[in-house]
Amino acid sequence: MKKITLKMWKKIDGIIQRYKEKSGALIPVLEECQDVCGYLPMEVQERISRGLNIPGSTIYGVVTFYSFFTMVPKGRHTIKVCLGTACYVRGGKANLESIQDEFGVETGGTTGDLRFSLDSVRCIGACGMAPAMVVDDDTYAQVSKQNIMKTLNGYK
Amino acid sequence: MEEISLTINGKNISCPPGTSILKAALENGIKIPTLCYHPHLEPVGACRLCLVEDEKTGRIMASCVTPVSPNMVIQTDSPIIKKHRINIIRLMMANHPESCIVCSQGNRCELRQIAAELGVGQIGLYPMPHYTGLEEANPFIIRDLSKCILCGKCIRADHELVVVGAIDYNLRGFKSRPSTVHEMPLEKSSCTFCGTCVSLCPTGALSLKNTRYVGSPQNESSTICGFCGVGCSLVMGSVDGQIIEVNPSHKEGTVNRSTLCVRGHFSHDFLNVSERLTSPLIRRDGELSPATWDEALEVVAKGLKSIKKKNGPQSLAFLGSSKCTVEENYLFQKIVRVILGTNNVDNCSYGSGKAVINLINEKLNGGGRIKPLAGLEAAEMIFVVGADPTQSVPVVGYSLKRASNMKRIPLIVADPRKTDLVSFSSLWLPLAPHSDFAMLNALAAILYKRQSYDIDFINKFTEGFDLYCDGLSSVDLKKVSRFTGLDIKLMEKAADLIEGKKIAFVIGHGIMQQRYGTLAMDALLNLALMTGSLGGDGQGIYLLARENNQMGAWDMGAAPDFLPGRQSLYNDIIRKHWEQNWEVKLSPDPGLNIIRMIEEAEKHNLKALYIMGENPLRSLPQPKRISNALNNLELLIVQDILDTETTQLADVVLPGAAFSEKGGTFTNLEGRIQSFEPVVSPPGEAKPDWEILDLLFAKMGYSKRYSSLKDIRAEISNLVPMYSELGGNGVETWIKETSNMRLFHPDREREPIHFSPVITTKNEKSEKDYPFTAILGSLRYHLGSGTRTGYSDRIRDFGLKGEAEMSSEDSAGLNLKEGDKVRISSPYGSISREVTIKRDLSPGLIFIPIAFQNNDSRQLIELTQLGEADSPGWKECQVKVEKLET
Repeated sequence: MKKITLKMWKKIDGIIQRYKEKSGALIPVLEECQDVCGYLPMEVQERISRGLNIPGSTIYGVVTFYSFFTMVPKGRHTIKVCLGTACYVRGGKANLESIQDEFGVETGGTTGDLRFSLDSVRCIGACGMAPAMVVDDDTYAQVSKQNIMKTLNGYK
Repeated sequence: MEEISLTINGKNISCPPGTSILKAALENGIKIPTLCYHPHLEPVGACRLCLVEDEKTGRIMASCVTPVSPNMVIQTDSPIIKKHRINIIRLMMANHPESCIVCSQGNRCELRQIAAELGVGQIGLYPMPHYTGLEEANPFIIRDLSKCILCGKCIRADHELVVVGAIDYNLRGFKSRPSTVHEMPLEKSSCTFCGTCVSLCPTGALSLKNTRYVGSPQNESSTICGFCGVGCSLVMGSVDGQIIEVNPSHKEGTVNRSTLCVRGHFSHDFLNVSERLTSPLIRRDGELSPATWDEALEVVAKGLKSIKKKNGPQSLAFLGSSKCTVEENYLFQKIVRVILGTNNVDNCSYGSGKAVINLINEKLNGGGRIKPLAGLEAAEMIFVVGADPTQSVPVVGYSLKRASNMKRIPLIVADPRKTDLVSFSSLWLPLAPHSDFAMLNALAAILYKRQSYDIDFINKFTEGFDLYCDGLSSVDLKKVSRFTGLDIKLMEKAADLIEGKKIAFVIGHGIMQQRYGTLAMDALLNLALMTGSLGGDGQGIYLLARENNQMGAWDMGAAPDFLPGRQSLYNDIIRKHWEQNWEVKLSPDPGLNIIRMIEEAEKHNLKALYIMGENPLRSLPQPKRISNALNNLELLIVQDILDTETTQLADVVLPGAAFSEKGGTFTNLEGRIQSFEPVVSPPGEAKPDWEILDLLFAKMGYSKRYSSLKDIRAEISNLVPMYSELGGNGVETWIKETSNMRLFHPDREREPIHFSPVITTKNEKSEKDYPFTAILGSLRYHLGSGTRTGYSDRIRDFGLKGEAEMSSEDSAGLNLKEGDKVRISSPYGSISREVTIKRDLSPGLIFIPIAFQNNDSRQLIELTQLGEADSPGWKECQVKVEKLET
C-alpha cells in the first residue's frame, strides 16, 4: 500500500484548516486530499472526520458514492480497455485478459508497483478504432495482442 | 404571518406558511401513507409514498417535503396517485426478500401493512432481492439490510436525534445501504446501542436481539422508564405477563422524543429473572423460608413495636428508595414520622448530592426547579460542570449535542476528563479534580473585572453583592491557575463565551458527590446570580438526577430533614402545620441520614432497619462496614424486587413490584410529574410497594387505609402544594414552584437571594503512598450500582469488564500494556482491573467505571458524610496502582 508520508499529512492538515469554518467543505476537502495522496484511505478519512467534525460514516458515504473518489491507490497510469459492442466483437476482451495476465492485475485493480490501474469501459464512442484502448489521455486504435505490450512499455 | 388556505380532498384547510402538505393533512385528520416520514425527524421525501396531486396543475409531489401554497386543490387518493403508490410498493417488494413468515417484525412491518391497505398481493415483477449478510455479532441489534427500504429513518435518528453519526448511506443505486464507517460491525463503530434506529425502522431490517423470546408481543402499553432521572416514556411489550420488549414511546411532548439509551432499551431483563422475590420470607432457624403476607407483616409490626417500646423511637430507622414511586415515598416517610415517631428516614439518593440539594433549597427555596430539557436547545449558552451526561443520563446528552451541533449554542465543558461531550463543545476546561469552585470563582472575578454582570437583576433580586465584589477583587488568578491547572488564557476564553449571556448550567455527580461539592455549588450560584441566569427558560441549574424518582423521593420528604414538599423539619411553624395535617405530634429531633444509620448500627444504638428498594451492601462505600453494621441489628426488614446481597442478611424479606408491575408516579429531573399504570402483574405473591406499606400501616394499628393510588394521590395533592395537580386528569403534570424568594415572585416584599463568600483555594494534602487520583464514574451500560442492569444478558454479553482508564504516560511509567491487570488500592480496600490506555487522560488520573464487578469500586472510598468540611467525597479517592503478573 502506498504510505501517507509526513509531508502528505502536513498538506492534509493544511487543507482541513483552510476549509474548517466553511459549510459544504467536505467534497472539496476530499478532492484536494485525494490529489495529495492519490487515494483516500481509512486513516485520511478519519483525520478529515476529526478535523471537520463530520461523522466518519458520512465521509465514507460520500467517498463510496462518487466514483471519482477511490479508497485504493491508483497507479501512475490508467488503462481503460473498451468493451463496447464493436470493440468486444473485435477482440477487446482478449486484449483485457492479456493485460491482466501480463501484469497480474484484476480489472479495477492496480499493479503492485503502482505503475498501472486497469479498468474496462463500455464504449468510448470510437467504434471506428475498435478494438480501442485509452491510456491516461491517449487513445489507441486497433489494439491487438501483438502491439499492446509495445504501447504499454512506453508508460513507465 | 397570514395563514394559507387550501383544499385537501375537498376540505377547506388553513395553516401557517411553511407547513408541509402532509402535516396539514395529518392535522386535519386526513391520512396519507408514509414510510420515511416521522414527526421527530426532518422530512426527506425518500419513499415517495406520500405523493399527492394538485388538481389545478396536475402536478404530483411528495407531500412531506412540499410546503402548502395558497389555493392548492390537493387530492391525496386520486386514481393516478393510487396507481403510483401501488407501483412504488411493488418495486419495494421486488427488492425485498420474501421472508415475512420468519421476520421478527411480523405484522408490525409497515411495508406489509401499506401493501395490504393498497391491495398489493402478487407483485407481478421479477423479484430482485439484494441479499446482504445478517449482522448479529453484537448482543443488542440485528441488522438484516436486505430488508432495508432506504427510508433513512435510522440515519436521520442517528444524526438528528441522538447525534452520534455511527451510520450513513454508503455507495449508490441498488447497492446503497445505511452503513458504518468502512462497513465495520456496529460494535466497532461509534454506535452507543441506544436502539433508537430499531424502534423507527419500518421493516425488519433492524430488530432487537432478544435473548429470552422470539416473536412479537401480545400486548403493548405505555409506562415510564425506571432507570435514570430523565424519565423516558416507554412502550413495553409483553407475552404471558412477561416483558419481552421495550421501545420508546413516539408520542408528542415526551422528554425523550422517540429516543432511548442502551439501558432503557436493553436492560430490563431483571424483570423476568429467577432471582425475583415472589413470596414473603421469614428467617427461621437461621434460614429464610417462605411465609404468608400476614405472618411476615406480623413479625415486622411486632418487632418494630417491641423495639420501640424497649429502646425508644430513635432505635428504629427506615431507608427508602428513589426508585420507588412518589406515592410510596410519601407513605414510607409517613409511617416513620406518624407511627414510629422518629425522623430516621432517608433514601439512597443521599449519595447523589443531598448536601448540594440542601444548599440549593436554602438559597432558592424550591424556585427555578422546572427545567424542561427542551430549554437547553433554546439556551444562550450552556456550561456543563462535573457531568458526563452522554454516559450517565444519555437523553440529556442528546439534548446537549443537538444544542451545540444544530443550534450552534456555545457549550463549555469543565471536566478533568475528555468526555464524549468535549468534541461537541466550544471550549473544554480540563481542570484538576474538585477544583471547580476555584474555577467558577475565577470566571466570576474575570467577569467582574470586565464590569460584565447583570446589574438590574442583582439590584432587584439579590443581596450582598458589594461584599461579593470585595471577594472577587481579591481573587488571585495566578494562584487559581496553579490550583486548577487551567491556563489563565483558557479561563479568559471561557469568560468571553459567558459574557453578556444567560447561562444554563448542567450539573452532575462530579459536583454532587465531590469533596468540595457545596463550595462549587456556592460559587456556581454566585455566578448564576451575577449573570442573572436563574429566572427564565433555558437558563439556571439543570441537576442531573441519577435515579428515576430521586426528585420525587426528596419532594415527598423521604429524608431526615425534609417534610413533604421539601419543607424544613426544623421550622416550628411548618412542623406544627404537618402535625395538624396528620393529627399527630411530630418529633422535632433531627433524624438519621443513611450514613448516620450505619454509624448508629455500628454502635448498637440502632436496633431495627427497614429497607425498601435499596441494596446498600452493593451501593455504599466500604461494604464490609455495612455488612457488619447490618449484622448488629436486632431486626432487618428488606422490601425489594430482587434477591440481593442485602436481602441475604434480612430477618424478613417482603417481595415488592417493579415499576412495570404497578401504578405510580415518578418526578423527573425536569420537574415533570409522570403517572403510569401497570403493564403486567407482579410475579407470584409480590405486591406493589404502596400496598405493602398500606398493610403495614394497618398492622401497626393506624386507622386510615389506602385502598387505591387515588387515595394516596388525593392526600398528597391536598397537603403538598408543590404536588397540587397530582392525580388530576392527565397522566403528566409539573411541580408547582412554591418558592418564597423575590426572584420567583414579582412581589417586592419577598426575600432577596444572598451571595455566598468567595473561596478560591484549599490546602491539599499530598499523599505519597497513594499517588493517583481515581475518579469513579458511570458508563451508559449500567445504572447506579448495577443491581438491576447487572442482570441484563445483553449488557453482560457485550463484554465490558469495567476496565480502568489510565494515561499513556502513567501506563508507560508502570510498564503497562492495554489489557494488563493491575491492583488498585486505597486505604479502604483494593480491587483488580484490566487497564485500558487513554491518550487524552491527564497523568495522575485513573478513571474507574462504577457498577461493574459487583460494584467493587466502592471498596476504595470511605463511608463519610457528604458536604461536610472534611469529607473526602465519594467521587474521587487517592489510590496506588500495582501491576499484577498473569
